[in-house]
Amino acid sequence: HLQVQTLLRERLCHQQLPQRPEGVDSQHKHLMELLKRTAVHGESNSVLIIGPRGTGKTQLLRCVLAELLAEEDVDKTLLQVHLNGLLQTDDRIALKEITRQLSLENVVGDQVFGSFAENLAFLLEALKKGDRSSSRPVLFILDEFDLFAHHKNQTLLYNLLDVSQSAQTPVAVVGLTCRLDVLELLEKRVKSRFSHRQIHLLPSLSFSQYLQAVQAQLHLPDTTFPDTTFCYDWNASLKVDKSVEAVLLRHFNSTKDFRSLHRLLMAILCRVSVNNPTIKPADLLDASRLLSADAMTNVLHGLSILELCLVIAMKHLNDIYDGEPFNLQMVYNEFKRFLQRKSNSLYNFELPVVMKAFEHLQQLEVVRPVDAAAAVAARAQREYQLVRLMLDHSQIMEALQKYPQCPTDVKQWAASAFG
Amino acid sequence: MARYLTRNRLRRIYKWGGFPVSHDRKLKTDEYDSLHISLEDLPRTTVITNGQYILIEGVDDDHPYVAKVTKLIESDKKKKALVQWFARVGEVPPNKLKLLGREPHPQEIFYYEGPTCEDEIDVESILNTVQVHQSLLDDVHSDGDDSDEFLPSVKELRSSSDEEEEPQEEEEEEEEEFCARLDSDDEIVAKKSKRGAAAPRTPRSARKSQASMRTPRKTPVKKATPTTPRTPRHATPSIPSRSLPARQPGSALEEARARLHVSSVPESLPCREQEFQDIYNFVESKVMDGTGGCMYISGVPGTGKTATVHEVIRSLQRASDADDVPAFNFIEINGMKMTDPHQAYVQILQKLTGQKATPDHAAALLEKRFSHAGPKKESTVLLVDELDLLWTRKQNVMYNLFDWPTRRHGRLVVLTIANTMDLPERIMINRVASRLGLTRMSFQPYSFKQLQQIIMSRLNKVKAFEEDALQLVSRKVAALSGDARRCLDICRRATEICEHTSLDPGAPGLVGMSHVMQALDEMFSSAYVTAIRCASVQEQLFLRSVLMEFRRLGLEEATFQQVLVQHQALCRVEGLQPPSVSEALAACQRLGACRLLLLEPSRLGVLQRVRLNVSQDDVLYALKAE
Repeated sequence: HLQVQTLLRERLCHQQLPQRPEGVDSQHKHLMELLKRTAVHGESNSVLIIGPRGTGKTQLLRCVLAELLAEEDVDKTLLQVHLNGLLQTDDRIALKEITRQLSLENVVGDQVFGSFAENLAFLLEALKKGDRSSSRPVLFILDEFDLFAHHKNQTLLYNLLDVSQSAQTPVAVVGLTCRLDVLELLEKRVKSRFSHRQIHLLPSLSFSQYLQAVQAQLHLPDTTFPDTTFCYDWNASLKVDKSVEAVLLRHFNSTKDFRSLHRLLMAILCRVSVNNPTIKPADLLDASRLLSADAMTNVLHGLSILELCLVIAMKHLNDIYDGEPFNLQMVYNEFKRFLQRKSNSLYNFELPVVMKAFEHLQQLEVVRPVDAAAAVAARAQREYQLVRLMLDHSQIMEALQKYPQCPTDVKQWAASAFG
Repeated sequence: MARYLTRNRLRRIYKWGGFPVSHDRKLKTDEYDSLHISLEDLPRTTVITNGQYILIEGVDDDHPYVAKVTKLIESDKKKKALVQWFARVGEVPPNKLKLLGREPHPQEIFYYEGPTCEDEIDVESILNTVQVHQSLLDDVHSDGDDSDEFLPSVKELRSSSDEEEEPQEEEEEEEEEFCARLDSDDEIVAKKSKRGAAAPRTPRSARKSQASMRTPRKTPVKKATPTTPRTPRHATPSIPSRSLPARQPGSALEEARARLHVSSVPESLPCREQEFQDIYNFVESKVMDGTGGCMYISGVPGTGKTATVHEVIRSLQRASDADDVPAFNFIEINGMKMTDPHQAYVQILQKLTGQKATPDHAAALLEKRFSHAGPKKESTVLLVDELDLLWTRKQNVMYNLFDWPTRRHGRLVVLTIANTMDLPERIMINRVASRLGLTRMSFQPYSFKQLQQIIMSRLNKVKAFEEDALQLVSRKVAALSGDARRCLDICRRATEICEHTSLDPGAPGLVGMSHVMQALDEMFSSAYVTAIRCASVQEQLFLRSVLMEFRRLGLEEATFQQVLVQHQALCRVEGLQPPSVSEALAACQRLGACRLLLLEPSRLGVLQRVRLNVSQDDVLYALKAE
């Protein structure tokens, strides 16, 4: 069973590459040809791979690269530079990273690498030196391409794309992004230098294909897995029945992102143990409920009755004032009106106690100051600070439903239309 | 190499044939019909008459000049001839040859008119007569009388300084063919050996001055070699070389693709002849005079600004190699290729002298260099690309760049390139704009005909495209931007598509309309509609509820909370389980990530405002089509 765990976990977490990504043959071919021409013919190119998150952009690129590098002469020729817009947040860092990945820094010896300006001049000179037929082609992979467009003057993009359009070292610039409007981010002169090749990856698979993909993800290989009987049992347990299908359909309807599918499968996988050797539909149901649960409702479960009452008071204020911001004093007054109607004063709290509860809600971001900067400045008068409720009414009602031993009068108060 | 002469071994005797046919009283000249040239001790005489082509002593024996006699006169007891000069291929500056648009025949001659050459020559400089044939393109090798032909050139070459020259008479404009070719040269050489013992020398001085008048040359200036020995610290980095050489293009389509790549340097730049000529003239005149000046070049991206300037510099460098233009330094800086405007000084200084300095120090050194006269100082041509990036608050970088050319000893020509036409008016303060001056040029976006011509010239007879397909691309691009890069990229993509879709990989055939259409589609179509169609059900429902909420509010903006109410209602209508707030928020964020929606920062949670980034019609269209 450990073997199952390791095998499948690796598959889900490490994103092991499939033999060939499915349903993207034309995109695969396009990218393959393009990179091949750079590697073999020394032709410079630039391309953008665009698609929503979790559609397999990186997977596609990695598959293509793996296939390309399997060819012998390419393996020794192609240089790769991987950049990520989230890591290389400005051009200075990006340039250093490029120099490092091209292992050019040994040229400068152990001298501390110079200023940004020198760095740029250095790299440009290096790229300019090369020519089409004799220098090794360089593959630049820019993950989160759109973030590079926010760098000052887009210097890095201009220079990379300029190299790709002039007779210098052959380069292929591959950008990965999920923004469909990425071209509008580029400056005119940068845009003109981009070849406008775009490979769109969109999740176009149908539900039946989706089911197959789920099964394939959990399928154990018959031939290589040591324990054949177990393997047979396991694979047999992967049959899709009605309830499973319903759960998966719900998931499919909400998102086609493969990462979130992996999360779901991971949650199931964690339940597999010696006593519980196969996957049961109930596991799937539980896992799905776990993942689709509302985060804010869960937070509300942990509140005290007083805090819950304050939240209800805020809900009523929201109803009365149509979503206008309110302050603690208003909430407290509303709360007191509720108490006055009740005979028993079980929840008769002093203002300082209420304020403490209110601060706790603020920390949980159940309420949020309208103007955070002003909030800090006007610390003295916390009870008059304007805040907004960050919850939807449905969340409050749902939380009340599930709240253990919630007093009935509080429930009624929440449900009543007039506070 | 053909040798043309004999002149210093033999004394020639020049005599007028017959009596003066007319007399000019004012100039006191007599005009004659013909001139007899005879060689000492030999009976043979050559008769020169009006309209005849002659060889005239050149700078050396191998390269006599060619001219046509228009008048034979005697003034002041000196025998003179008025001639119309012709330039041989070797005498034409390479940049002008380019304008011809074809490979000239080595023996071809060109009509020459320029004020720099006096048309009156001393008859004693005449060496011999020569036959010149006019020929048409197709009879190149058909001449019967043992002569090689000269290809006619369609264009007449002019000297750079005579721009407003009137169109010439037809006859003179036509191509002349010059037939002193090898066999006749052999003959001359043979004659020479026979006449070996003759006394030397016609005086040469007259000829020399003539020569210098024809093509103004300055003494070759030795190029200063920037030899600051580089420390290994500045060892130039380079990308390692590959073990196997890159594969060369195999098929016609691959060949076409290589030619269509933006990086391939074309043999000539079609459709920019006028701009080329203007820039050339500007730079040439400044370099010749040793003065300075500024020129501002604007145009949208991809209209060949930088390429044209580079072409001009290449031609000028060839001309200076041939000593037609004094030697000069060329320096290029690009605003985008530096991190800070003040780095411009550092780069200029480094390219000029190889020195490294801080920006301030570099500015001081350059200031000194451009304001003091130095011995043997060469002109400097500075190309500043992407000028707008050099803007600083005080604009001192621009100010200096435009101020140095105005110095007396500056000898600096600055060519600046930027995208916008009104940059000087928009961002420059007065003293900077005034120094930039009014020498401006703007590159218009290419028209579809020009784009077509550009592709054709790049392909250069590699047959890979159907005529219609080319026209479609160029019309489409001309209508959108007129960007030549775009045009080339589309064509390149079309060749790939053609290669992939063809059934027979061996013979893919020509790139047709369908391939080009597909390439255009790939590059210009927006993916919004497809993206909406591929979105998950909940995402689509969310978009639909955004539309509903917009309609209800009558605004183009709503908070997530408002949309959520619609969304949950819509789910109930559709018979789906309504998503939790977290799930709906996640769907909303996903739409925001691909910019179908524009969102406020996600920390605002349910209060964040939502806007569409696509038109409502597009959303409706995409959702309805299912």
